[in-house]
Amino acid sequence: MDLRYSEQQEILKKSARDFLTKECPKAKVRELENDAKGYDPALWQKMGELGWLGFNIPEDYEGMGYSFEDLAMHIEEVGKNILPGPYISTVVNTFAIVEAGTEEQKKDLLPKISNGNCILTLAWLEDNGLFDASGITLKAVHKGNDYVLNGTKMFVDGAHVANNMIVVARTKDGSGEDGITLFLIDAKAAGIKTEVIPTIALDHLCEVVFKDVAVPAKDVLGKVDKGWPILQMLIRKGSILKSAESFGGLQAVFEMTVAYAKERVQYDRPIGAFQALQHKMSDMWITLGTSKYLLYEAAWKESEGEPNSKEASMTKAYINEAYKLITALGVKLHGGIGTSSDHDVPLYYRRAKAADTAYGSTDYHRELVAQQIGMK
Amino acid sequence: MDFRLTEEQVARRKEIYKVCEELEKKKPKSYVGFESQFDNEEGWAFHRYCAKEFAKRGWLALGWPKEYGGTGTMMDKVLLAEARGYYDLPGSDIFGVSMLAPTLLAAGSEEIKREFLPKIASAEVMFCELWSEPNAGSDLAGMTSTAVRKGDEFIVNGQKTWNTGAHYADWGFGVYKSDPNGKKHHNLTFILNNMKDKGVTVRGIPYMNGSHVYNEVYLDDVDMSAKYIVGQENEGWAVVNVLAGFERSNMDMVYGLVKAQEEFVNFCNETKRHGKPLSQDPMVRNKIAEFACSIEAVRTLAYRVADQQNRNEMGLMDAASVKVFASELLEKFGQIATDLLGPYGQVKHSKWAKLNGSAEYNYQACFVPIVSMGTNEIQRNIIAWYGLGLPRMK
Repeated sequence: MDLRYSEQQEILKKSARDFLTKECPKAKVRELENDAKGYDPALWQKMGELGWLGFNIPEDYEGMGYSFEDLAMHIEEVGKNILPGPYISTVVNTFAIVEAGTEEQKKDLLPKISNGNCILTLAWLEDNGLFDASGITLKAVHKGNDYVLNGTKMFVDGAHVANNMIVVARTKDGSGEDGITLFLIDAKAAGIKTEVIPTIALDHLCEVVFKDVAVPAKDVLGKVDKGWPILQMLIRKGSILKSAESFGGLQAVFEMTVAYAKERVQYDRPIGAFQALQHKMSDMWITLGTSKYLLYEAAWKESEGEPNSKEASMTKAYINEAYKLITALGVKLHGGIGTSSDHDVPLYYRRAKAADTAYGSTDYHRELVAQQIGMK
Repeated sequence: MDFRLTEEQVARRKEIYKVCEELEKKKPKSYVGFESQFDNEEGWAFHRYCAKEFAKRGWLALGWPKEYGGTGTMMDKVLLAEARGYYDLPGSDIFGVSMLAPTLLAAGSEEIKREFLPKIASAEVMFCELWSEPNAGSDLAGMTSTAVRKGDEFIVNGQKTWNTGAHYADWGFGVYKSDPNGKKHHNLTFILNNMKDKGVTVRGIPYMNGSHVYNEVYLDDVDMSAKYIVGQENEGWAVVNVLAGFERSNMDMVYGLVKAQEEFVNFCNETKRHGKPLSQDPMVRNKIAEFACSIEAVRTLAYRVADQQNRNEMGLMDAASVKVFASELLEKFGQIATDLLGPYGQVKHSKWAKLNGSAEYNYQACFVPIVSMGTNEIQRNIIAWYGLGLPRMK
C-alpha cells in the first residue's frame, strides 16, 4: 500500500496548475460563460498541443497513453482552476471509441481529438430526465443502409460547437437495456438542430433535435442493440472523472475560505479566530479528506482494471454532496461578498450543482450502490 | 498510488480474521456492543480471554521494537484492529496496548519499559486512565489533584473521573499537580499506580443506558512510587502530549460500521413490510446506500492514516477527521437503524429485540467515541488550529 502521489503525478498536477493559472484566469471563465461558443478555440488548440486531449488515447493513435489514475489527477487540477468548455466530456466520450470503436473509427477520430481538432459530445439524456436505460426513447429505424434518427436529446454538452456526437438511441421496441445502440455521427449532419439551454453553470448544455437524420450503418459504435454496456462504461469513467473535477473545485473553495478567514478582520480580530467559523472550516476539511481517498481508490481500481462500479458510484454520490456542502459553506463564510457574481466562490457553487447531475445524480448512484451492497 | 496489501499482508489479514471469527463464536450473549467488556464480569472475562489469545500470538506487541518483544508491523496492528472491529471483539486494552505502550516506548525509562511492556504484551496487566477531573475535562489546566513528593514516594490526593474500566483495571496511569508553584505545563507529573493501592476508591458512574463503563476514582493519601514516573518529574505535560500525538487509524470503529451495514442490509432483505421486503423501499435503499458511501469514504481515509503510520509519518489531521467522522456516523446509524425498526427501535437486548438490540445500543453508546479521547469539538479545534493555521483561542 502506498497512498502517495507518484513523482509523475506531482509533475502533471503542477504543470496543469501553471498552465491554467496563466491561460484561464477567472476573468476568462466569466467571459466564456456568456460567450456564444462557451469555450476558447485558441486555448483548445494549445491544450491539444500539450497533449491534454490525448491523455487517454493510445500512442498508436497519436495520444499520450497515460493511466486513468494520472488522468484523474490532471482533471482534479482542471476542476480546481475551472476550465469552461466540453473538455471533460470530450475526454470521457473518447473512451467509447478507444474501447468499442472499429479500427476505421479509431484512425479517423482519435488523432483528430488528440490534436485538438475534434470536440466529441454525448447525446444521452432526454426530456424525461432519467439516467437509467428506460430514459432512452429516441428512435433509430433501420432503412436500407442507413438508420434514421428521430427524437430529442437534452443536456448535451457543447453540442452547438461539437464536431462529432455519440447518440444513444433505441433500435428495438421496449425500455430495457437491450435494444439500445450508439451511433457515432457528424454533429453537423442534416436534420440536427441545436439550441443552448440556460443552465446554472452557464456551461452550454444543449437541446438537440433530430429530424429524419440519416446515419450510415457503418457509424454504429459497438454492436447494434448492445450499446448499453458501453454507455455504462462511460457513466462509470465519467463519474470518476467528474468527481475528480469536483474534488479539485471543492479544494479551491476550501483554500479560498480559510485564506479569507485569516485576513478578514471584524471585532478587532480575523474572523477565523471565531470558533463558530473554525468548526465549519474543520468540517470542510473532514469532508475534503473523506472525499479524497474514496476518489483515488475508484480511480486506481479503474487503472488496474479491477471491478469498481460500486466504488465509482459511491464516489460520485459522495462527492456530489461534498462539493455542494463545501461551496455553500464557502459562500456563507465569505458573508456578503460571497454572494457577489464578481466573486470566485459562486462560480464553484453554481458548478457544484451542474456537476451533481452530470453522469448521474446522487440518488441515481445511491440506487446503484444499494444494488451492489446486497440490497435485494 | 497503490491500494493493494502485499501478499504477506493479505495472508496475515486472513490469519487474523480467522482467529477473530473463531473468538466471536465464544462471545457471551450479554455482549451487545463495543463497551460490553466493561459492563459485567462475563464481558470482562471475555475481554481477558481474547487478550490472552492475542497475546500468545504476539498480537499485543505488534510494531514494537524487537528488543522489547515486538512482533509484526504497524500494518499488522491495523489489520488486527480491522478484524476486531468487524467481529466486535475486545481483547486489546486500549489504555495499555494502544496508549501506554507507545508512550513508554517513546518516553519511559529503561526500567519502566522492562517492567511493564512484557506485562502489557502478555495481557497480564490491564490499565485504566486517570486523567479527567470534575473541573478538568477538555482543559487539563483546571486539574487540582496533587502529588506531593516525600523521598521516593508521592502522596497523591484528589478525584479523577470518566475512568473507563477502572473498576476492573489492574493498574492506572494518571497526571497530577506535583509543583504548586510551577509554571503551567511544567507542574504535572505522569505516574503509574496499582489500582489495589491503599486509598484508591472506585465508584461507578452509570452510563445513560445503565451499563457500567465509566467510574470516578478517589485518591486519598495514595502512596505512589517515584520509580513509576514516566518521563521527568513535573514534565508530565510533555508525556501527555506524546501520548495524545499517537496516531490512531480508528480502524476498529470503521470496521464496526462495515459490519453494522452488512447486518442491516440482511435485516432489510429479510423483513417484510406491506408484503414487500424493506429493502425494496426506495427511501430505505437511498438511506442505506448513503450510509455505505460514507463508510467507504472514511474507510479509505483510515487506510491513508494507517499508510502514513506505517511509514512513521504523522497524519494527525487525518486521524482527527476519521475519529470525528466515524463516531458521528455511528451516531447517525443509531438514528437510522432505530427509526427503520419502528417501535422495535426502542427494544433493548432481549428476546423481543431485532438485530440483537444493537440499534438501541448504538443510539446511546455512540457518545462514548464522540466525547472520549478528546471530544469531537476538541478534534475540530485541533484541525482548525494545527491543521488550518487558524488563530488559537486564548
